Amino acid sequence: MNNMSPEVALHRISPELRPLLCSVVRNGRVGLDSTNCLRVTDLKTGCTSLTPGPCCDRFKLHIPYAGETLKWDIIFNARYPELPPDFIFGEDAEFLPEPSELPHLVQWDAGDPECLLQLVKELIQQYHQYQCQRLRESSRLLFEYDSLLEDPNYGRNMEIYAGRKNSWTGEFSARFLLKLPVDFSNIPVYLLKDTALDPGEDVALLSVSFEDAEATQVFPKLYLSPSIEHALGGSSALHIPAFPSGGCLIDYVPQVCQLLTNKVQYVIQGYHKRREYIAAFLSHFGMGVVEYDAEGFTKLTLLLMWKDFCFLVHVDLPLYFPRDQPTLTFQSVYHFTNSGQLYSQVQKSYPYSPRWDGNEMAKRAKAYFKSFIPQFQEGAFANGKL
Amino acid sequence: MYHLLMGIIECAAAGGSGIDGDVSIMAASISGYTFSSVCFHSANSNSDHEGFLLGEVRQEETVSISDTQISTAELLQVVEIHNHDPCAQLFSFYDYAGKVNEDNLNRILKDRRKSVIGWYRFRRNTQQQMSFREQIIHKQLTQLLGVPDLVFLLFSFISTANSSTHALEYVLFRPNRRYNQRITLTIPNLGNTSQQEYKVSSVPNTSLNYAKVIKEHGAEFFDKDGVMKDIRTIFQVYSALQDKVQAVCGEVEQSERVKEKIQEDVNKLKQQIALRKRKTAEEERRLREAQNAESHPTSEENSEPSETSLLSRVAFHAPSAPERPGTSPNPPSYSDLLSQEDSLLSSSSSPTSAALLPRPQAVGSPGHPTPGPLGMGLGLSLGLGLGLGDSSEYENLVSEAAHLPMVSASVLAQGRPAALSPDGDARGSQTS
Repeated sequence: MNNMSPEVALHRISPELRPLLCSVVRNGRVGLDSTNCLRVTDLKTGCTSLTPGPCCDRFKLHIPYAGETLKWDIIFNARYPELPPDFIFGEDAEFLPEPSELPHLVQWDAGDPECLLQLVKELIQQYHQYQCQRLRESSRLLFEYDSLLEDPNYGRNMEIYAGRKNSWTGEFSARFLLKLPVDFSNIPVYLLKDTALDPGEDVALLSVSFEDAEATQVFPKLYLSPSIEHALGGSSALHIPAFPSGGCLIDYVPQVCQLLTNKVQYVIQGYHKRREYIAAFLSHFGMGVVEYDAEGFTKLTLLLMWKDFCFLVHVDLPLYFPRDQPTLTFQSVYHFTNSGQLYSQVQKSYPYSPRWDGNEMAKRAKAYFKSFIPQFQEGAFANGKL
Repeated sequence: MYHLLMGIIECAAAGGSGIDGDVSIMAASISGYTFSSVCFHSANSNSDHEGFLLGEVRQEETVSISDTQISTAELLQVVEIHNHDPCAQLFSFYDYAGKVNEDNLNRILKDRRKSVIGWYRFRRNTQQQMSFREQIIHKQLTQLLGVPDLVFLLFSFISTANSSTHALEYVLFRPNRRYNQRITLTIPNLGNTSQQEYKVSSVPNTSLNYAKVIKEHGAEFFDKDGVMKDIRTIFQVYSALQDKVQAVCGEVEQSERVKEKIQEDVNKLKQQIALRKRKTAEEERRLREAQNAESHPTSEENSEPSETSLLSRVAFHAPSAPERPGTSPNPPSYSDLLSQEDSLLSSSSSPTSAALLPRPQAVGSPGHPTPGPLGMGLGLSLGLGLGLGDSSEYENLVSEAAHLPMVSASVLAQGRPAALSPDGDARGSQTS
């Protein structure tokens, strides 16, 4: 019964418990990694086998936490739906939260559909504290934790998973999952629209795995929500510097944060710059503009004439414009190549400076066209056929 | 349907937290009727079910001594579950937070509280692991009831998807220990048919009806001291048999002495006869020699007397064989025992040592052959088929008797003590 869709689970569960499970399955996002929602598997019943269904009242809940997935058993009694559930915390046999820290358990209200979800969130909080306690086995990691805790930017958005990697050798390992406080709100909307998945909340998570207690093997990894990843240019945006040996998180994390912020800034700036560029070209070339990308301002096509010779110029603006130079593709309207395409030449390097504003770029571009076109014309006549 | 486990597995705990003493092993058993009663209550409930286990815990110490002279003492803590007390509903003695209410607990247990040794829970289709609330409750119960090693029995009922197979699984935990928390629970007299004995449990029988019936009909089986009458009767028979055996021993001793006396007399007479014969032979020889001084002497005649004496000896053996006493077929004679200890030259034949009393042996005991046809004469006495190998005295006899035909007159002339042997008077008659 794995990979059960939420609807199937809701169908099989006892009717009195359905509202509770509904909020867990449909809206349940706990923890930092909200792209993965809570999953329910292994629905079973506590009634006799002759009881007609649906009467399932116990299941396994999969909760993403600090890069791991916790599998907790939740046990209700279908015949007594007003009673609070019991839990088995899977492999974490030593995790025993204090009931007084779980207000939604002490005042369990079966009539409130959010009650179970809230209780799970409280349990996760207690679990987090339990994991932090386990960090005490390594003073080095405890130091990392404490230093991060003090910083208000990171302290409150942290998930820790600590444990024995290998129960035989007793090697200690821990994973820190941090939410990076990067503002993605100004990213142009068009960039965020193209993902097939439900975008959810835009979030960047940094996962740092310590494979040993002395922090000699550290593996950082950056997770971006799909829309952000796409907006920043794909998986190449996920390259982050390696963790410096002997370094600590309180230095490294802000570094990564800054890197990401810079990238976002580039992207935002790039958008505005491109808009400016296109606007300038529009004003300079007026009727010569055939079409342009009015959403992302990434493309522009011009139809120009010089001494009765007409030609097209396609301008492709890269993501990190103006840092990166736009690509100019000259295309003849008369000549074909052997493969049946219009004869064209691509120019990537021409006089350019990122410091020019839009107007200046348009003027310079015009000048360049004038200087280059004779060359192009010759080439077209020589290599292409009409 | 029931999942059965056999054997008692000891768990060695490496010093559990909160446990005093060095109790290292725990074994647990539950009587068959209690187990089935718990299963019945559980299987009939339409939700999770819980209750208390009543019984007793005792400690057994086994000291094992081995050849290395290092004796190890093992402390075994034995938990016996005699009874159970099911709770009518869930959350009957604890609240939503898992806090145990002592008043409710007392109301449920009443005066059975002191015999509580654990509690149990039944839940269908769940893992064999203590849950969050169960652990919390267990800690509180341990404190409230004052049982340091409170056990927790977890029943789990697993059904397959199409309800074709159901399994009842049960695990006994002792959660107050850090390691080895699971204990194997045995159900006596249930399981492997290779087990021969019917184990009796130490559950005290508190049934009033049982006590009443036993009291009424007990007089037929028990006498005034509480001992079963049959036992007394058997003991009386045994005593009577013992007396008889003792009496027979006395008689045997008497007859043996008489027989020996007669044997002695016979030997003396034989000696006298032999002496007389020798004298006669001497005289005749002297006469012949005197006569032969005139004629040739022949050596053939010299061998005659020895042959005739040999023949007479052989002839003497046969009749003695059937005269053996019938009461004790193969007893070692007093003289046999003496001949082993003393030298061959001893002539004393009367056994006086008390150590030589005959060993009472039952008829047909495997150690000795049943009385059968005994060897007649020398030839058969040599045969070891009479089972002479059993006692060393008989071996001696055989080895000595084997020499009989070859023994020269000089050896035979040595005084041999009178010997009662299977081959008759073979030895005794060797004196000449």
